[in-house]
Amino acid sequence: MEKQGTCKECSILHCCTCSPSPTRVPHLTCAFLSRCLHLSQALLHEYIFKQNLSKAICSEEIDTAGCSISGKLAMAGQKRKERAGGGEFRNNKFKKDSKMNKSSKNNKNKNNTISKGKGPRLPSSLRTELDRLNPRISSDSDDGIDSDIGNDVYEYDEEVPEEESRKNRRFDPVENYEYELPKDFKDENVSSDDDDDDGGFGVDGNEGSQNEDDERHLRMLQGITGMSTDAFGDKKKRNSIVISEAHPESEYNPTRDVLQGDGHITVQDLLDPIQGKPGYSKLRKRMQHVDRRSASVQAPLPKADREKLERMAVYEHSKKDITKWEHLVKRNREAPTVFFGEDVDLGFSTVGAIASEFEPRTEFEKKIASLVYDDKVMEAHKADGSKLLELNKISEEDYIKHRDHVAKMRSLLFRHEMKQKRIKKIKSKTFHRLKNKDKLKAVSVEMLMDPETAKEQARKQEFKRAEERMTLKHKNKSKWARRILERGLNAQDEGTRAAMAEQLHHHALLTRKINTVNDSSSSSDNSSDEDDEGSNEDRASELLEKAKEKTLKVLEDDEELPNSGVLSLPFMVRGMKKRKEEAMEEAKLALQEYEQLEGTNGAVNSKPPIATGRRVFGRADTEVPDSNKKTKTDKMKVDNYYGNSDSEDDFEAKENINIEGSRRNDVEKDVAPNFDRKEATDVSVFKNFDEVVGDPGSKTTYDVAIFASDSWRKMKSGNEVDTNVRKLPEVKEPIALNQDVEEGEEGSDSESEQQMVDGILTSGPKESYELPSQSELIQLAFAGDDVQEEFEKDKREILNEENPEPDKPVLLPGWGQWTDVQRKKGLPSWMLKEHEDAKRKREEILKRRKDARLKHVIISEKVDKKAEKLQTKTLPYPFTSKELFEQSMRMPIGSESNPETAIRSLNRPEVVKKPGVIIKPIKFEEAHPHEKSEDNKRRGQKPKKNRSKGATSKNKKQ
Amino acid sequence: MGAKKENNDEEMDEKVKKYLRGEAANLEGLKDKKLKGQLAVREDLYGKSAKTAAKIEKWLLPSEDGYLEAEGIEKTWRIKQESIAREVDILSSRNQYDIVLPELGPYTLDFTSNGRYMAAAGRKGHLAIIDMKTLNLIKEIQVRETVRDVAYLHNELFFAAAQKKYPYIYNRDGTELHCLKEHGPVLRLQFLKNHFLLASINKFGQLRYQDVTMGEMIGNFRTGLGRTDVMQVNPFNGVVALGHSSGTITMWKPTTSVPLVKMLCHPGPVSSLAFHPNGHLMATSGRENKIKIWDTRKFEVIQTLPCHAKTLNFSQKGLLAAGTGSFIQILADFSGSQNYSSYMTHSMAKGYQVGKVMFRPYEDILGIGHSMGWSSILIPGSGEPNFDSWVANPFETSKQRREKEVHSLLDKLPPETIMLDPTKVGTVRAPQKKKKPTKEIETEMEAAIETAKDTEFKKKTKGRNKPSKRAKKRREMIDRAKRPFLEQQTQEHETSKKKQKTNPETEMPKSLQRFGRQKAT
Repeated sequence: MEKQGTCKECSILHCCTCSPSPTRVPHLTCAFLSRCLHLSQALLHEYIFKQNLSKAICSEEIDTAGCSISGKLAMAGQKRKERAGGGEFRNNKFKKDSKMNKSSKNNKNKNNTISKGKGPRLPSSLRTELDRLNPRISSDSDDGIDSDIGNDVYEYDEEVPEEESRKNRRFDPVENYEYELPKDFKDENVSSDDDDDDGGFGVDGNEGSQNEDDERHLRMLQGITGMSTDAFGDKKKRNSIVISEAHPESEYNPTRDVLQGDGHITVQDLLDPIQGKPGYSKLRKRMQHVDRRSASVQAPLPKADREKLERMAVYEHSKKDITKWEHLVKRNREAPTVFFGEDVDLGFSTVGAIASEFEPRTEFEKKIASLVYDDKVMEAHKADGSKLLELNKISEEDYIKHRDHVAKMRSLLFRHEMKQKRIKKIKSKTFHRLKNKDKLKAVSVEMLMDPETAKEQARKQEFKRAEERMTLKHKNKSKWARRILERGLNAQDEGTRAAMAEQLHHHALLTRKINTVNDSSSSSDNSSDEDDEGSNEDRASELLEKAKEKTLKVLEDDEELPNSGVLSLPFMVRGMKKRKEEAMEEAKLALQEYEQLEGTNGAVNSKPPIATGRRVFGRADTEVPDSNKKTKTDKMKVDNYYGNSDSEDDFEAKENINIEGSRRNDVEKDVAPNFDRKEATDVSVFKNFDEVVGDPGSKTTYDVAIFASDSWRKMKSGNEVDTNVRKLPEVKEPIALNQDVEEGEEGSDSESEQQMVDGILTSGPKESYELPSQSELIQLAFAGDDVQEEFEKDKREILNEENPEPDKPVLLPGWGQWTDVQRKKGLPSWMLKEHEDAKRKREEILKRRKDARLKHVIISEKVDKKAEKLQTKTLPYPFTSKELFEQSMRMPIGSESNPETAIRSLNRPEVVKKPGVIIKPIKFEEAHPHEKSEDNKRRGQKPKKNRSKGATSKNKKQ
Repeated sequence: MGAKKENNDEEMDEKVKKYLRGEAANLEGLKDKKLKGQLAVREDLYGKSAKTAAKIEKWLLPSEDGYLEAEGIEKTWRIKQESIAREVDILSSRNQYDIVLPELGPYTLDFTSNGRYMAAAGRKGHLAIIDMKTLNLIKEIQVRETVRDVAYLHNELFFAAAQKKYPYIYNRDGTELHCLKEHGPVLRLQFLKNHFLLASINKFGQLRYQDVTMGEMIGNFRTGLGRTDVMQVNPFNGVVALGHSSGTITMWKPTTSVPLVKMLCHPGPVSSLAFHPNGHLMATSGRENKIKIWDTRKFEVIQTLPCHAKTLNFSQKGLLAAGTGSFIQILADFSGSQNYSSYMTHSMAKGYQVGKVMFRPYEDILGIGHSMGWSSILIPGSGEPNFDSWVANPFETSKQRREKEVHSLLDKLPPETIMLDPTKVGTVRAPQKKKKPTKEIETEMEAAIETAKDTEFKKKTKGRNKPSKRAKKRREMIDRAKRPFLEQQTQEHETSKKKQKTNPETEMPKSLQRFGRQKAT
């Protein structure tokens, strides 16, 4: 940027100083030069302004001076143009200095007015002529002058064709339109010329200082460029001369710029003369092309900067993109509950619904469907279930046919089975070999004939191989085999080698053998099952039977004696016979044994039930007496219980009495033995009762109680007593009053007792209102005093226990008592102070107690550790104040304390979703301020008014 | 019309306020926007809930409690039961009766929480369960020993009876299910239905709590204040109050061994005690012929009435029944200013000794257990007219009962939730500044050092088993044991120092504070 800026200024400088060729000036110089240039410009403007002012007064003078002014001012105009073209990007920074701008507003306005008006349109030939004379003044440039004169003179304005206006433009080759920096790009180092131009020097700027400035600049320029002061100083002079220069510029009268410049001639200079000649435009175009080409390309920014710029741009863009989601995010965040997948239709949910969608595809399905959805069947279904039965009917013939078929099949199967059994029993190896061969043959033939069987066979084979592969039992896998293999087979002797071979063979064989073994076992199982069908005997018996069978077979076997060979010899035959006989005998014995065993087994089997039966009997026998006994004992117990209960009652009474007062003890003793005689006659009881009635005071009460309980017991215990019971109520009536008195007493009611002693029977409501006797009053009063004191003492004690009083400060005997002085001084001050502090602290604590003001109350300050867990130790996170937390917790949200309609919303979870529904990512929705509330309602939330307002306003902003 | 509407609105507002259970959180100064939003939504929901609840109360609970209204010079307490019987319907008049059972001694009563069933226990072993709706005797048993008290458990299926030696639990059919031997000879039984605790006080002044679900003994405390048979549960917080012969009342919870509150209520022995259903009022009566009404929140007397009561009971609507001798007085406070005055009186037949009075829940009936059986009288305005089937349903079917049993078991409260102010549950605990006294800490440290000294080392290999090394190791161990205590001490010291430093500044008068040393911060 800086580079560019400087270059720009360079170009301007060249224009200004009329240096025809663009020289590369080092950056620093450029800056200085530009500064200088600003000065001159400012002067120019000032001049123009003055001109404007004076215009009204002496317009003739302007007329005369018109041309020369135009020459000079055109330059200014041109510069302005240039700035407008090349320095567009600077506009921003120009605004930075708004203060300056303000001060120069007037000036600017003036300038604007100047630039607005376009001067008289000169014929192009004349213009070219002029240009030739003064090549730096473009056709545009004279606008300023003309307007400034002719603002009120002409109102005449014509557009200049652009090509023409550009024709003679003498721009610096460094001019750079291509690159545009971002608008907000700031460059603070380089002050722009416009800045200064507009505001740097106000109209009413102090000229004195300006002059000084100028001088300084001149000196500076001189210092930098190393040229004579004249070169620069002239400028000022020239500035003053400018007005006087009235001659049109020409070859003969070149402008001072040309003369005073370096004398460089640009291509443009050379081109100008041939303007209008054939081939000129071509040449010019080419030149322009070359110029453009040669325009020095800016060095690209460093990568980091470039990327930063890019990022900035991208960020701006993306920010805009992202902010549009804001309202959605806000809404979700503020919602007490977020609902997901609410609008997802889960489709069919019932089995019936899913089934109704079913369409038969395969042939089988179609067949079934055709049967199921048969019109007849459907109709039957619709009409009546009984019709379905009709459809189910099978004709008799069909049934018979079916039955016969089944029977035939069964018999065939049976026969086949029998045959198979027989064949299986055959032990001849040759037969089996032949059979196997036949089988193999048949299989091979079949394999050839039928591809399916071939396939099956292959599969079987495969299975076998797989099995062997899996187990690898005989595949040299054992430790022994591995060891041998490790050593090498060749190193082994023949025996081991043979063994190995044998094993391998075995492995090969085993695949087949496994199957056969399985088969045999299964068959034997089957057979045994068949044999044992019906009789569920254990394994032992089964084994026995087998053995028996075998022995029988041996017995039945009439072995054919060989007719030839050694065995046919007579002694051999005899020997064999003998042996056979022995074997037969043995077998018979064995058979007998077996039979015996079997018998015992059966016996054993049959025994247990008998035994259990016996046992049961025994048990029953034993039990019966037991139960009898029990019942007896129960009865006894019950009896005892009765007695016990009575005695317990006594006991209880005793206890009561003990507590009530010991003076009754003798009475109780009197009564207890009386009571022990359970079979005491009614008369005695009545006697007793009579006595009781006769007795005054407390004795009465107690005896009556006994009487009552006794009577109850009798009532329950038997019929014989019934008569007594019947009698009882009659007797009771007279004593009802007394009894009442007694029963009312219950516990240790001293008051009523006293009443009893006094002989006043409780009766009616008045009694309770009766004033207590004097003695009672006194007693109560004294008792009260006592109680009060006791309580206070108690309280003091408790307080002291919880906050013990500080100990009195004491010195160790002998310490600090050496002299009288020390003794007089007493305890050290710190000790006293400590004591005081402790005392004060205690008092404070006592004051803080809840019961501090309540004399008659002790409220425990003990902390219940178990109850501590019901309170929080610290405030839960979002809360900052205890009050707020507790207020927010005050409402229960359970179903017991809230109406049904409110529970749900009170207890709704933060996220509600359907199980099994995929939660889709958030979708963009336009913010509709009016829809918002509705939406919330749907979501079961009630946004506060101000909140929703805030949200909408935010949306609007977007 | 307009006035009516206004009145209506006011009424509704009052009800809504009741259901809002206190003031809404003040969100004005709250800076946390998220929390503010959340709380605002919550409050809104609470408001709605309260409003619907108020509406329900207004429109769906239309029955109002009646009461006696005196005309002219008539006095309500002069109205006899007979004159009430003449006015009321047949169904209600059926509830005036006396059951005379003279043999089996003074009776005590208990109702189930829904008021449907009553258990009556005669002192001489008679236990009876009665369906109060149909007046059918469900079961009657003779336990053949003294029965001092009876209490229903959570429903009518089970009840506990305090018998001669132990309390027993029976079921409805009179089958003995449990014998609670640990309780000993119990004088009074109370059941805490929300906690499933059976509380008992025995002859030796021992208070016991047993969990009836698992059978676990929750608490066993000696009151140390002698024998008492005055016990009552505060229905509001589950605290058990005991009245003692020294005129004090102690309040207990099952998790602390010392009484929560001990208050001196009467100069003489306390003869009975009752709690208002809302738990804020307590009535006590002493032998010195005084009934006192207390505020249990401030522990102060509200009112002292000059009459004697052997038994007291509050009804659901706050009527107070006091029975003494054969005379029963009902005190009422219709003004709402907790100024109880005589409302009704009733005198039994001469010589009947009232042992227990108890209002039947959800009915305007007072049950009286006395020496000759039990009676029932009508007290207009005593019962709650609208029942909440979530709480108690007088018309419960067996299915509902089963459901409720399961629910209440699931909602069983742990025993530690019993406290004087149950609203404290779920709040922030007050900071505990109580430190262990230094002596204790010292002893602890010494003990730790001792244990460190006493530990025996393993025998190490040759080089490492030197006595010097062992001694060193031991020293290290002791140091390690000491460290935490020392650290604690230093910390405390520092904090106290800091406090001292900060204190003078705050103590300084404001005008001089600028001369005080500035804080580093």
